[in-house]
Amino acid sequence: MKKPSNIIKLTPILIACSLVLTGCKTTEVRRVDANQEVALSDKWNGKDSQLVSEAMINDMLSFPWVRDHLTKEGTRPAIIIQSVRNKSHQHIAVDTFLNDLKRSILRSGQADFVASADLRGEIRNERKDQELNASLETQNEMGQEQGADYALSGTINSFVDEQGGSRVTFYQVDLRLIDMTTNREVWNGQKKIQKVQERSSYGF
Amino acid sequence: MKLSAKDASLNSITTQVLKLFLLLATLTCLSACNVTHFEKNNAISLAQKGELTSARTAIKRHYSSQGKNRLLYHLELATYFQLEKDYQQSNKHLTHAKDLLESFYTVSLSETALSQFSGPTYTTFHGQKYYRPLLHVMKALNYNALAIAQPENRPALQDSALVEMRQLNLYLEALTDETGGYNPSVNDKLTNQIYAILKPILAPKALLSNIDYRDDAFAHYLSGVINEQNGELDSARLQYQRAASAYENGFAEQYQLPPDTTKQAYNNLARVMTKSGGYEIELERLKGKIDPQQQNHLSQLTVIQNIGVAPQRKQFNLVLTADHDSKALVMTPIPFGTHAERQAQIQWFQMLFADTSIFDMIQNYTMGDGSDVALGFVTKRLPLGGLWDNAKKVGLIDALQYGARISVTYLAPPKERIKSTEIWVNGQKHSQLHPFHSIELLTVQNALKNANTEIQLALTREIVKAISAQKLLQKTGLQQHEVFGSLAKFATSAVNAVTAAADTRQWQSLPAQIRVAQIPLPTGEHNIIIKTQLNSGRVINQTEQVNVSGQMSLWQTRTFIDAPPQSKSSTSSSIFNLD
Repeated sequence: MKKPSNIIKLTPILIACSLVLTGCKTTEVRRVDANQEVALSDKWNGKDSQLVSEAMINDMLSFPWVRDHLTKEGTRPAIIIQSVRNKSHQHIAVDTFLNDLKRSILRSGQADFVASADLRGEIRNERKDQELNASLETQNEMGQEQGADYALSGTINSFVDEQGGSRVTFYQVDLRLIDMTTNREVWNGQKKIQKVQERSSYGF
Repeated sequence: MKLSAKDASLNSITTQVLKLFLLLATLTCLSACNVTHFEKNNAISLAQKGELTSARTAIKRHYSSQGKNRLLYHLELATYFQLEKDYQQSNKHLTHAKDLLESFYTVSLSETALSQFSGPTYTTFHGQKYYRPLLHVMKALNYNALAIAQPENRPALQDSALVEMRQLNLYLEALTDETGGYNPSVNDKLTNQIYAILKPILAPKALLSNIDYRDDAFAHYLSGVINEQNGELDSARLQYQRAASAYENGFAEQYQLPPDTTKQAYNNLARVMTKSGGYEIELERLKGKIDPQQQNHLSQLTVIQNIGVAPQRKQFNLVLTADHDSKALVMTPIPFGTHAERQAQIQWFQMLFADTSIFDMIQNYTMGDGSDVALGFVTKRLPLGGLWDNAKKVGLIDALQYGARISVTYLAPPKERIKSTEIWVNGQKHSQLHPFHSIELLTVQNALKNANTEIQLALTREIVKAISAQKLLQKTGLQQHEVFGSLAKFATSAVNAVTAAADTRQWQSLPAQIRVAQIPLPTGEHNIIIKTQLNSGRVINQTEQVNVSGQMSLWQTRTFIDAPPQSKSSTSSSIFNLD
């Protein structure tokens, strides 16, 4: 029987080679464009946030509510973000997504944003401080805030289908815009993202 | 040069003495290998005394965040940070641990190959299946505690707790797909009863067939509580339904839990169905399974008591030798440690490996002599028969001249040390806490399930190591010299023995048992006392002012029963309430 003996002889060499190969891997850091997608897993990532926000805002601004508001009020509509709830199975930085949304709207120049309740409170405190400490010419008056015309809210949901090393993850973002005077839903947007992850059972 | 008859005789006596000395030295070496890691166990001992910072330091000294035990590094630190109420740090470590568990899906071939020439302790620790549900539950409880501490971030933190429950659900769905979960039996009741009576008689090894970790009723139950707490009634309903079904169809029996578990899960299910509305037909069907008194609209307080410490995995040694007379390989246990430990080791060996079945006895009788049958209770024989000559040819028999160490894990039999645990509300006895999960039994059953695979792998590994060492000695020519040859053989056997340690690694800071009680209380502040009465007569009291608000509040506590009576950890540490 020659084979077992050869295997026994070769095994230590194979192990040594594998150890050398794995040992060669060192830490490496590269700078990449923030817009370039680096997907290491099927988790929600920065690119998803950016793509969804751009698609949503394009859709939102294509609806007639902006034109109707301009015709009726003569000013750009002001929007407040109420809440976007993460109902998915992944931890998603909702704030980052909301900031992407705001940037897309502000860049379009067709609507304004009103600060959130927390931020408004901080700014009011700052104005109170100005009343006491700033010169009259540079003071900002109280009671001159712009009220929001529309409220934006929504949810992020997900579904997962998994079999062995294959996993399909489906994210669905639903947003809606409500007219704060009439409670009319003037826009409802939906964006879906599907990702497939394949994992190998064995690796080197 | 030919030796004279006198010289040859002297040389032979010297060799025999040397062999005897080497054999004794091998046995001493094997016994010495039977030690547990001081630092690892020291950490949990320190935690029991309430010295949590020192416990964390001990973990950091023993495990590395990058090394082969990186999973344990994160899991252990997560537990200690939770006990210190540093929930953010705890979750940071749990996130790392979860990412690691996911990454271990891909098995490293190079590491597997390496383990064949070293031992399981030289490879990366991949954890156990039941770690994931416990990890998600722990993380969700941390997020809930953070939501109380940070009201400004409360909605986002509560959503994060629910994210954990969704991940838990995905994991358990995959697990039940793989294992079949717990389902109502299809056979009739009488057949099942007769099978249960005959099973131990007909096939003792079959007793190990129903001890798989198939689903986690407790994780489903707690997921239901957290979903209900956050107003996700539909998800809560599904989770309570799964918890009730799993408890009823085998989980409670497998982990020796009382029927109150099933009843409580059905009570909760009925409550969320009533709250949601539209489940009148289903509620009618549940009537016989629920307690109508619990179906009120008061706020609920769920009390979770994590008691004790999960049992330690220990190792015991066996010596593998070749029996030339019966042409068999023989494994003999070498019990070591305290009297109780030695007893447990022998019981573990007899239960799982020894030649105690009728088949084994007949086999020993036909292959050896009568004494082998009697020895079957303390040995495991692997008759080679016709393969003996092949084994000789590849050098196996020669390689086992001084024996080879086989090291496997065992767990001491669980002991019931808790007599009862009671909840006192505002000075009045309210109810009992019932066991809802036994991590102690889960750990033991997991070890029993893996015992055969473990010993097979250990046996293969040690044989490969012994043959490789033998080949090496042949190449060097040392084997030709009787004295140096024996020394060299002993040296290689000793090196192999040192690397043959069993894998005793585990998430040691987990509790032994989880008890739960759910009590309806009016909203507001309540003085809650948990009285844990041990069989020794000692009573551990834990007190907390709990604010009950909303539909569901949660209070979690850890009770260390081995802590000295004056220790703060056994009385009131690691308690937080959620509402």
